[in-house]
Amino acid sequence: MRNEKPTISEHLKEAGVSRRNFIQLCTTLMIAAPVHLSLTRKASAWEVAKVVGKAKRPSVVWLHFQDCTGCSETLLRTSRPDVADLILNVISLDYHETLMAASGYQAEAALKQAIDENLGKFVLVVEGSIPTKDQGQYMKLAGRPALQVLKEVGQKAAAVVAMGSCASWGGVPSAGANPTGATGVDSILTEKPVVNLPGCPPNPYNLLAVVLEYATMGRLPALDEKNRPKFAYDRVIHDHCPRRAHFDAGRFAREFGDEGHRQGWCLYRLGCKGPVTHAACSTRHFNEVPDVWPIGIGSPCVGCTEKGIAFNMPIFQTAELRGITPPEALPLINTPIGKVGPIAAGMVGAIAGGIGGAALMASRRLPTGKEVSATKGSPDDHTKPDGKTGGD
Amino acid sequence: MIDQWERNVPVYDVPIWTRPFIAMCGLGALAVLFVTYRELAGLGPASGMNDAYAWGIWKTFNTMTLTGLGSGAFAIGMAAWLFKRHNLHVVMRTACLTSFLAYLSGLMLLGVDVGRPWNFYWVFTPWRWNLHSPLLEVAVCMPTYAMIPLLLENIPPFTDWLHQHKPKYREYVRKAEAVMVRCYPFIVGLAYLLPAMHQSSLGALMLLGGNRVYPLWQTPWLPVLYVWAAAFLGFSCVAGTLLFCSQMWKRPIDLDVLVEMNRLTAGLIASWLVFRIADIVFRGVIGLAFKFDIYAGLFWMETAFLGVAIWMLRDSSRQRDPRLMFHAHLMSAFGGMLYRFDPTTLAFQPKPGAFYFPTPIELFISLGFVALAIAAFMFLVKVLAILPAPMRLWYRMETHEKKAAELQNPRFVAAD
Amino acid sequence: MALSRREMLQKITVGSASVVATGAATGAALTGTAQAQEMPQAPREAVAMLYDNTRCIGCQSCVAACVEANKTLENARIEGVHHTNLELNATTKNIIKLYKPADGKSYAYVKQQCMHCVDPACVAGCMFKGLRKDAKTGVVTWNSKVCVGCRYCEIACPYHVPKFQWEGWNPKIVKCEFCKERQAQGLQPACTSVCPTKAVIFGKRTELLAEAKNRIKENPNKYYQDRVFGEFEGGGTQVLYLSKVPFDKIGLPDLPHESVPEKYLKWQKRVYSYLAVPAVLYASMVGVIRGNWKKHQEHMAEDEKKTGLRPQL
Repeated sequence: MRNEKPTISEHLKEAGVSRRNFIQLCTTLMIAAPVHLSLTRKASAWEVAKVVGKAKRPSVVWLHFQDCTGCSETLLRTSRPDVADLILNVISLDYHETLMAASGYQAEAALKQAIDENLGKFVLVVEGSIPTKDQGQYMKLAGRPALQVLKEVGQKAAAVVAMGSCASWGGVPSAGANPTGATGVDSILTEKPVVNLPGCPPNPYNLLAVVLEYATMGRLPALDEKNRPKFAYDRVIHDHCPRRAHFDAGRFAREFGDEGHRQGWCLYRLGCKGPVTHAACSTRHFNEVPDVWPIGIGSPCVGCTEKGIAFNMPIFQTAELRGITPPEALPLINTPIGKVGPIAAGMVGAIAGGIGGAALMASRRLPTGKEVSATKGSPDDHTKPDGKTGGD
Repeated sequence: MIDQWERNVPVYDVPIWTRPFIAMCGLGALAVLFVTYRELAGLGPASGMNDAYAWGIWKTFNTMTLTGLGSGAFAIGMAAWLFKRHNLHVVMRTACLTSFLAYLSGLMLLGVDVGRPWNFYWVFTPWRWNLHSPLLEVAVCMPTYAMIPLLLENIPPFTDWLHQHKPKYREYVRKAEAVMVRCYPFIVGLAYLLPAMHQSSLGALMLLGGNRVYPLWQTPWLPVLYVWAAAFLGFSCVAGTLLFCSQMWKRPIDLDVLVEMNRLTAGLIASWLVFRIADIVFRGVIGLAFKFDIYAGLFWMETAFLGVAIWMLRDSSRQRDPRLMFHAHLMSAFGGMLYRFDPTTLAFQPKPGAFYFPTPIELFISLGFVALAIAAFMFLVKVLAILPAPMRLWYRMETHEKKAAELQNPRFVAAD
Repeated sequence: MALSRREMLQKITVGSASVVATGAATGAALTGTAQAQEMPQAPREAVAMLYDNTRCIGCQSCVAACVEANKTLENARIEGVHHTNLELNATTKNIIKLYKPADGKSYAYVKQQCMHCVDPACVAGCMFKGLRKDAKTGVVTWNSKVCVGCRYCEIACPYHVPKFQWEGWNPKIVKCEFCKERQAQGLQPACTSVCPTKAVIFGKRTELLAEAKNRIKENPNKYYQDRVFGEFEGGGTQVLYLSKVPFDKIGLPDLPHESVPEKYLKWQKRVYSYLAVPAVLYASMVGVIRGNWKKHQEHMAEDEKKTGLRPQL
């Protein structure tokens, strides 16, 4: 056991990970978490790499409770570059039931060792929900209820990350009648700072960004009221969806496989929960393949990050839209109509002037009263002797 | 030159093709050209009308406003026939001709303005009529008036001409005149009933504008105000025309007849103004006239022009001043026309943000049709006995005609 | 001028008879007893639409469906340029508009199309019944065979609905006609059939009024002034509106309960009913003119004798 742990860049060198792959990792991090994260708010991937490289590999203890292991799988579903490898070399995954070789008593010992060696410094990542009914007997780890394990381990951790919807608010096990009383981490570990990363599964870069931010900056990212990091969960899918233009123009797919569906039109009418789901899936896709995310492949979003939506609201039931910013392209109630052209305005002036001029000229040629009375008695005066000129 | 008007005499001593006449014909021809464009391309490209201001200036100015000017036959006729102002008979032919030409021009432009004129034949099918529509009343009444009573009132100068220049038709002319004499009261009665009906219906048209017509104009009495305005507009048009023609072609002016017309016009305007202002006060909207906006401005402009017109009319009558009379009638005509035009366009705000201004083509067409009417007037008064003159002018005309017959040049200009 | 007794009696009889007749006829016409004047009612089977802008999401499915059903020009692409209609016009019978308040928060959508009023101003103004209201369903439709293109309907409509085709030599008046062809096939109008949130629904006016009032009752203070627009406004309309913001903010004018024709054409109708007033006027005018005509003829005869010239009529 070395006393001085190597920095991340030293370890990567030792592990034979190319610098190029490391820079690519940093670039991906910047795209995944561009704002609200001091680690990635840098001008270039090299600068991010510099900061990350200087840090020590953070120790991560990963506990599984009522889970399907999907959240671990999401970490591994990466290939170009082999970022799974990278991730596992950037962090020090000291306990992970699925990935480690040990089992049985050796596994229990590994957990104890990991905790003791990194007391107060490790990051606890929890996957899966915790049953609370009947003293939590519905999930046991080495004979002890999950509730107890979580409290023990969580107390000794520096920070807790609830990976996935199950750990964030209960997830699948909490659906329906919730027979086991499944609940998320933050309702149990009330004293510790918990970062929720809901999703089924969430994007692996969310986890990586949180862990590295902690490792390099020593602090957790800005969280919203549900303890979700703002850099990934601050807006709904609907506000960042590539199919939003179709929604705004009223083009909807009505059935799977119909013309609209083939054209890639909005899936709102098929029950897409994009308008009510906070997540970053629309910009960070999955499996490192572009457009591999539910809406991208034509499947309506089921709202897997949201409590009350996922595993609760029927998949094909349309979401209620509240507080959605209306598109700028919609016309306003009163739009101006009609205008005046310069030629027309000029013409009106000219006509008015013409008529005025003609009238003026005409009136000049008419005699005034004085001129009329001056002609009295002249040959032009045809008034009768009685002074009248009119008839009858 | 002041003299008594005793008989209607054509303007025999002026050639037909004068510069003003050619100019008017030119404008008219231009208008006809533009009308062809309008018929082919549609109303949109040819005008500035839009869905908010669906009526541009053709309907509202040429038809609704200028036929107000063309109510001379109606107003002066009523004064002469119903109210026994016998000295106005001598200007009746001028009034009838100006009215007829104004109506003809306005109605033709109405035909240009409607979008689907080929369907107009339904006007002859009473079972298709919507009797509640003021526009129907206008559409039936105005052409009927123009083509029946007004046309018949304009026949006499033509029969006179026939009688004088085509001796072989004299017999037919006499027979026709005998028939006309018998029917005259009934024709003339129609000639006052129909304009009363449609001039008021022209006012009723904007009633359906509802509260989009500014309250200083929108009133249930709009039809009455329109027909009353038509009355003094008719007077002013005829008086103005007479004064204008007299200076243009150096014909004598009969101040007594004009003074009579002035008095009637002044009386009509005064009673109209009283009624209008009383209506505004009783409807409680007089406060709007004192705001600093364009509507109050228009109201005061109308009122000022008409108020000044009354004063000028009385003053010019007292001073027997033809130039002042002319100015007075110009004021009165402008004020009255402004009143009739305002509720249709200037004081009509269909929705916020809506605006309208005519396009050059629209203005040319409007102007051109007026020019056509003026050109027709200029031509007809030179050939037919329409404008009033003293008897001595008639005798000079007869001498002139004889000389013209000798020289075989009907429009030679005499040396004297 | 001395009148013989006979002439005097004649004049008095004719004069008083005409006065009485005038009075009676004009009185009957003007007081409207000759004609029943009652508040117009919607037909019993009147169809209607109810639009609730608390449910509308501004998706414009209804606009797209209307274009498809009526085969008006698509508003998406004209000459290769993305084109959004800002108003109802000759290619748009139905439009969604946005009310954007200053605070940027309490915005609202509104769907605009023909209101199919119970007593339409456009029908009252149309000369040859080009626009007519169906007696059974109450739908206001346009007849191209009769329309003259005078655009009086555009002036009269308080909701600025009928639009005119300003281009071309064969212009039409374009407005929503409640998808009468679809209704004839037993279908709903296109817009109501595609709305994903049922913000606009189709049904009988009586039923939809009841539904609207029900919604108001179950959601107090949700809807503006707890009332439905179109029940009485302008005499009533067959498109009803429930709104969370004031009606005038979404472009619905403030109208009294009287319909436009009722309010503004009342006197016009009365004066011309049975043509009583014109007939009486005519009769009296002819009477007076005949009297003056005789005198005028005497004058003309005198002049003819004096000057030897033909009289000028």
